[in-house]
Amino acid sequence: MSAPLSLRCLLRPSAPVPRSITAAASTPSPWTATFSTTASAQKDGQKMGTPKKMSAKTKGSVSTHMNPTGKKQTMAKFKKNKGAKTGKPPLPGERKALRKRIQLSNNNALPVAGLVELEPKDLLDPTKVGTMVALPGEMQDSLRTLEAFKPTQFWPMFRQPATLIRSETVDLIAQMQEAASKKQMLRAVITGERITGKSLLLLQSMAYGLSKEWIVINIPEAQELTTACTEYAPVPDTEPVQYMQNNYCLKMIQAIKKANSSVLAKQATVYSHPELPQNIPINSSLLALLNAAKEPESAWVVFQAFWKELMHKDATRPPILFTLDGLQHIMKISDYRSPAFELIHSQDLALVRLFCDTLSGASPLPNGGAILAATTRGNAPRSPSMELALAQREAEQAGTEPPAHEPYFKGYDTRSEATLKSVKVMKVKGMSKLEARGLMEYWASSGILRATVDEKAVAAKWALSAGVVGEMERASLLTMRP
Amino acid sequence: MAPRVNVLPVFRGLSIRSRPLAQRCIAAQTRQLSTIDHNSDAAQSENTFSDALRARMQTYGQSFEKKQESEPSEGTERALTENEIALNQLQQAAYGLNPFDPETHGHKFGVPTLPISRDMNQKRRYDTVVEQVTKLLMKDGKLAKAQRDMAMILNHLRSSPAPKVNPTRPLMPGPPTADQLPLDPVTYLTVAIDSVAPLIKIRKYAKLAGGGRALELPAPLHQRQRRRWAFGWILDAVNKRPSRGSGRAMFPTRVAEEIIAVVEGRSTVWDKRHELHKRGTAVRANVFSTKLRGKKL
Repeated sequence: MSAPLSLRCLLRPSAPVPRSITAAASTPSPWTATFSTTASAQKDGQKMGTPKKMSAKTKGSVSTHMNPTGKKQTMAKFKKNKGAKTGKPPLPGERKALRKRIQLSNNNALPVAGLVELEPKDLLDPTKVGTMVALPGEMQDSLRTLEAFKPTQFWPMFRQPATLIRSETVDLIAQMQEAASKKQMLRAVITGERITGKSLLLLQSMAYGLSKEWIVINIPEAQELTTACTEYAPVPDTEPVQYMQNNYCLKMIQAIKKANSSVLAKQATVYSHPELPQNIPINSSLLALLNAAKEPESAWVVFQAFWKELMHKDATRPPILFTLDGLQHIMKISDYRSPAFELIHSQDLALVRLFCDTLSGASPLPNGGAILAATTRGNAPRSPSMELALAQREAEQAGTEPPAHEPYFKGYDTRSEATLKSVKVMKVKGMSKLEARGLMEYWASSGILRATVDEKAVAAKWALSAGVVGEMERASLLTMRP
Repeated sequence: MAPRVNVLPVFRGLSIRSRPLAQRCIAAQTRQLSTIDHNSDAAQSENTFSDALRARMQTYGQSFEKKQESEPSEGTERALTENEIALNQLQQAAYGLNPFDPETHGHKFGVPTLPISRDMNQKRRYDTVVEQVTKLLMKDGKLAKAQRDMAMILNHLRSSPAPKVNPTRPLMPGPPTADQLPLDPVTYLTVAIDSVAPLIKIRKYAKLAGGGRALELPAPLHQRQRRRWAFGWILDAVNKRPSRGSGRAMFPTRVAEEIIAVVEGRSTVWDKRHELHKRGTAVRANVFSTKLRGKKL
């Protein structure tokens, strides 16, 4: 019996014989031998022209990964170098770009019936607590530009990005609205345990700001400013010396421009800015002012001019929302060094200083708005001053005795404490069962959670995660039992 | 409270009765008791039961009465006294029946509906393929990491576009169509692995082929073994696959991409399977080799 004919017995009944097999059959091969056919014969046959050659390593074995043959293993340091790898290595930044890629839709997920698009009044409505709202397309683009979405969140699983309205959301947005209506400034720190939804609360506040045509500025990761991974230079004529981060500023200006273009186009400048590299006449739009930042060298100057314009008190100026994620990183000494090789305090970095001055209330926003900072618990440095200050503010809000400094501890940072002297602290806690149910029903109707969502299932996941939204996601969406 | 009625007749009758008779006997006894004790002062005895206990007793009595209704009964029905209920229960216990309602008694959260699904067992909570493959992914005994990787693999399969199946690389017959696979990632994985799983392995008999060479014979594999071979090959292909990104999601991404490549017929694993099958077909010629006489096959 010829080999290809025999090989048919191992094929699936429905399968046609692959072309490669029939092609191999046309050439005379040693497989047709009627008696002994051994490894050596097979070796000859492969030399003669069998199309694919198996590597010697994997020929008879299950896998080299699992080393089933019991072959003696060599220690890593004695292993021979396998030689240069072929193929082009990824370009600088390409690997990180892939790691930080944000995917906001998944066409496999089912469209959720009855999912309405977000409207600003929904975020203020206590009766909407526990419902999901979809982010409209334009807002998605703006939020993506502002880097409000994080790669660790579960956006890639669903057909379109949607967010849960929580009681914390309604609380925060109501305060923002109230402050803006009175032309005042809401200064708040959002804090809470890990993966309780602090960054998502910032996202919701940004969504509200964008839909209400505020000017939204976001610093998505404070650590990018203070871990010495972006260029810095001293700002001339400052005492004590401040440092500008031009590359980062340029990136931020471009984000502000793209996310708020329609609002900025309507606003006109009121000052002449002789220090700018380009002449911006009075009464040109703020968008034109930001367009002056084409090179990193001029970025900080342009940002300063832009901020000066925003600080101009005018009834037509919209409120400002300035947010920052990762507060701990700016509440400590940074990793940057001065020319004397001394470590620079984070608040000596000009952009951080600007944020901290606004947060502390030293330089208020004349047209109202909100300045929000969220703490981070994932990759955060220790910041005892911030922890203490937040605990004190929380105690003051609750009307209890605020905790005092530890008398023998030297790690406090007075500048950070001064910044957080009078902020409002908003604690994000676990969800209620109602909110958990809304979320789980959304997962189930997207086809991602393949289970019946009843009271028992909700209670099980809620109890497992203590209502912490990230833990619920881990228990339901990042599991081997989908 | 102990019943005041003499229970000795109950005990006397219990030993020799066979079980099919029990129900009828209980009914008869109850009828007898109800006629005897109708006016006894046991019914008016001081009530020392707590309310809850009494309520429970009455429900048991009612359920017992329901059973009685199926039988022809003479006389009118009346509510049983507590003593009678207790007696009935005692009698039921004597005849080997459970006097309490198993649905409610002794279970804080009730009893589960039967049959219990396979994955309700804590030790078998994952799909068989998923469990086996996860352990094959594991390195240095870090099972939790392997499980996380597996979850990420399944999520990647879920969120990548539906595969385009190559007709020359047919998948296992009977899976859902390709566009349904992403929403059922476990089936996706199973289809990929089972489709490239080899049917046989080559078994070697040392020095039997002459000249010190091994004599090779094809040997069938069990399903679990087949899956192990297939996933081993997939992992080999994964290790050769260049990593385009960085971070902890990279390994699961590469595995998931290889699985998609298998389903789409692009993977080199298919060639490995084909080669092995071809070789196995060839070495079938050795099955009747005289050298194998007296060998334990």
